[in-house]
Amino acid sequence: MNALNLLFQFADNFAFVVLAAVGLAVIFGMMGVINLGHGEFIMIGAYGTTLSANAGAPLPVAMAIGVLVTAVMGLILERTIIHRLYDRLFDSMVATWALGLILTQGMRILFGNSIPQVSTPLGNIAYGEFSYSTYRVLLLPVALLVLGGLYVLFTRTEFGIRARATIQDPDTARALGVDTDRMYTATFVIGSALAGLTGALYAPTLTVVPGMGSSFLVEAFVAVVVGGPSVLLGTTLSGGLLGTIDAVFTNLFGTFYGQIAMLLTAIVVIRVLSDGLTGLVETVRNRVEGE
Amino acid sequence: MSGKRSGLSRRSFLATGGAIGGAALAGCLTGGGSGEETVKLGIIEDRSGNFALNGTPKYNASMLAIEELNEEGGILGNEIETFAPDPQSDNQRYQQLTRQAINEENVDALWAGYSSATRETIRPIIDQNEQLYFYTTQYEGGVCDSYTFCMGATARQQLGSVLPYMVENFGTDIYTIAADYNFGQLSADWVRVLADENDANVIGEEFIPLSVTDFGSTINNIQDADPDFVMALLVGANHTSFWNQRTSAGLDVPMGTSTVMAQGYQHKRLDPPAMANVYGGFNYMEEIPTDRNQEFVSRYYEKFPDAAYINEEAVNNYFSIKMYARAAEAVGSTNQADIIEELEKGMDVSAPEGDISLQGPVHHMTHNMRVFRCDEDHTITVEDEQQISEQFLSETVGCNLRENEETTQYVPADYYEEADATQE
Amino acid sequence: MGLADALDRLRRPFEGPNTLGNGRAFWVGFLVVLVGLVGYPIGFGSYAASSAALYLLYAILALSLTVIWGYTGILSFGQVAFFGVAGYSFALLSMNLESALTTMLALPVAVGIAALAALVLGYFMFYGEVRDVYVTILTLVVALVLNTFMAQTAGSEWTVGSVALGGFNGIPAIPSLTFGVGETAITLDGAAFYWFTLAALVASYLGLRALVNGRFGYAMVATREDEDRTEMLGYDVRRVKLLVFVLGGALAGLSGVLYATWGNYISPSVFGITFASIPVVWVAVGGRRSLLGAVVATVVIEWFRQQLSATGSQYALIVVGVVLLASILFVPEGVVPRLDAAIRGARDRFGASNDAPEGTPE
Repeated sequence: MNALNLLFQFADNFAFVVLAAVGLAVIFGMMGVINLGHGEFIMIGAYGTTLSANAGAPLPVAMAIGVLVTAVMGLILERTIIHRLYDRLFDSMVATWALGLILTQGMRILFGNSIPQVSTPLGNIAYGEFSYSTYRVLLLPVALLVLGGLYVLFTRTEFGIRARATIQDPDTARALGVDTDRMYTATFVIGSALAGLTGALYAPTLTVVPGMGSSFLVEAFVAVVVGGPSVLLGTTLSGGLLGTIDAVFTNLFGTFYGQIAMLLTAIVVIRVLSDGLTGLVETVRNRVEGE
Repeated sequence: MSGKRSGLSRRSFLATGGAIGGAALAGCLTGGGSGEETVKLGIIEDRSGNFALNGTPKYNASMLAIEELNEEGGILGNEIETFAPDPQSDNQRYQQLTRQAINEENVDALWAGYSSATRETIRPIIDQNEQLYFYTTQYEGGVCDSYTFCMGATARQQLGSVLPYMVENFGTDIYTIAADYNFGQLSADWVRVLADENDANVIGEEFIPLSVTDFGSTINNIQDADPDFVMALLVGANHTSFWNQRTSAGLDVPMGTSTVMAQGYQHKRLDPPAMANVYGGFNYMEEIPTDRNQEFVSRYYEKFPDAAYINEEAVNNYFSIKMYARAAEAVGSTNQADIIEELEKGMDVSAPEGDISLQGPVHHMTHNMRVFRCDEDHTITVEDEQQISEQFLSETVGCNLRENEETTQYVPADYYEEADATQE
Repeated sequence: MGLADALDRLRRPFEGPNTLGNGRAFWVGFLVVLVGLVGYPIGFGSYAASSAALYLLYAILALSLTVIWGYTGILSFGQVAFFGVAGYSFALLSMNLESALTTMLALPVAVGIAALAALVLGYFMFYGEVRDVYVTILTLVVALVLNTFMAQTAGSEWTVGSVALGGFNGIPAIPSLTFGVGETAITLDGAAFYWFTLAALVASYLGLRALVNGRFGYAMVATREDEDRTEMLGYDVRRVKLLVFVLGGALAGLSGVLYATWGNYISPSVFGITFASIPVVWVAVGGRRSLLGAVVATVVIEWFRQQLSATGSQYALIVVGVVLLASILFVPEGVVPRLDAAIRGARDRFGASNDAPEGTPE
């Protein structure tokens, strides 16, 4: 086993788990809504990026467009549908599942079974007989940046304080003058934008087709379960844990064992640390925030 | 017309008794529509879901063949009707629709399904109802079934055209990456058999779950093994991500394939040079430069101006519908048993890929196999061309459907030591 | 007088505040519909019956979720896991020990395995203090693990006895259910399978009605409404949840065995996210606190999806999505409870008196 290989594969897997999960985790952790259309939100981000790039936009601009499109879609869906379902969390799952169905088939009707794909930029890092895609490795710092940004947003800004107050006790927050409706809307839009960002980032390196969203779902849900209700630390920790396990097992035994090991880890973590990890994460976060 | 051997299965007849059976029979007859005046073909191909990319061209080409036949007066002077639902890439839906096609729509012949999984899901229903069925995807091979005609090239035909070419041009060390399911496993077995026949070695083998989109470790493993060429038997949208990733990682070892480009037209969808130096063994790609093919291609795009590509399977649907029509004309009815008997005599077929022939006793085609090369700009060139017949069933197994009724799928591991992975 | 009294006595165990459709009128209607369903294969033939049997066996899966989710408040996203485990178990058992007797025995054994799987998972969750929405995600993850695992069992090393697991392709040629031995054996096929499935569905439905209207049913509803208070009243909430979960697993397993024999086929797609979501959709649309709602919604939705697919229209899936969205947004309590309320409203307006205490499903 080559150490650099393992390192790059870990970077790759960590970024994938974190980016797949982060949009879902924000919406779930902050609002308790399970967005079963999460994969399709990612797909919309990827379509927005790829179509803009095909129309001539430079890749970074195209990615920004992809994020924007998904965020706007999230805003519209929140105002028209999701906000009616906040006190009916399980119904919101059915509704988002239906939305996913409509989005997938809608994109197929609009743009066909496939669109011309963008190629991966930035070349590769070569070392000895091996090489690794630079772009894929760079997704690790991007994922960390996203997490860092969210941390600042939710703990260091007025908005974040209001948002967390809304989550912890909506009635009191409302009594103190927080517009909780707007907080929910904003959180959903942020979650959508993050899903869009994931789609944008993976558009040049995955296959952009209407059904692509499903390839993120397993990692996203597993990471959210393992991470627990504490969105940021939870996602980071589960990204680290699952990314490591996936990289090691894949390297040693092959891709299938990587996947299975990751899923089994999730089950074990939930059972052994169900309260423990949640509690642990909460304590750690409180301590970090308390400083 | 009600040309089936029996409208309902014997088993259900026994189980439910005469009265119910009678009712079912009545249902069958009334369900058939206008009686003697029509020929009805069932075309069950995915136009949504995971396999829509492959299924849509199959549907299109079927409609083109039927339209052309109808312009020439249909079959036996009757206009051809179709039953063409969308199974949405869902195998359970396939089961329901296949039953509906047979029992309610009384189709005279059926074209259905892209993946092997789909074929194996519906084949019991086909056999139970003794329904004439055409399966047109290039596939792992070995299906010896009295009611099923496999129109696609088998793995032995596809790999048998490209693998010897690769060995001759690049060397003898082969690394196989294959989709981790029945088709991929059997195809990898065939790579081993063919490697042995061509004095080459498989130095590494990796099976990749269909859900995998990240190929970082696979690419490292290939670099580690340092083969002369890779046989990439990847399947589905997730695996298409491999090509961008290997290009981005700078993995430039030549690659042979029997699965990509001709089915999922990756060379049209991906940005060059993702598919550079990929060599495929196929019976068809729309780039075949012959006049006959180019005429066919322009007819297709005239009818479907927005279509994306004509894949291997689509052309197999096209020529097999025409072949069916000729068989029906020859026997003078749409009686399925008679048509099967007629087809089992063998038939020469003029297909877009060239002149090919049906091997009657095994229900497979002798195909005009070509080695296609994709270059840096994603231009396709033909490097090699030869007729390759179905050999596994006809020569190795000794399947003869003219003499024996069978519904078996044979696998190479039972006949070749090299193919039996458990021996190592 | 005597007959009416006898009927009233007969229906009493199945009635109570936890179900819709109490009173004589409902049971008369129930019998009429039942007679119609029994007669369906005679009128429409064995093909129509075998198509309909699929919807009926799905309805059992829907019932399994209703009792867990609607009555006990635990949303299991993994009912398909037990459905699939039982289907695979049945396939492996019946194909390894192929004789009429074992095919018959494989049914209860496979259902037992599903119940056991539910017991293990349920114990793991409820005694491990996994709660609320985490149960939902965990059950979904379990289904996805099974999906990933089964999808890669294509290699020749993955055989159980003489049967290959088949990976993504699944296991074809699973035998149909057979009752009896040797010459007298009856293979359940076509109409006979339909009747068997209908009987299983009716038995499940009536059994659950009796259950939820009995003592245990009140404990279930109390658990759903307030776990802590229920605990204080002396109920072991974890045990209630576990028992319901096992019952749900067994019912899902029964449905799964019927599914495997219906198409003589099972594949890992039964564990996939699409199929996992469908029972939630049926139950949510039908009215999750209504057993009847789950059955009706399942049959109607599946019939509707099949009809749309047969049209070959590319808008089929869009229509399905829009209809689901609309029903969630505009009929939040579920279609069947809404209909029930409408009928009762109409009856009240015409002054008809109710002859039994009416249920309050909410």
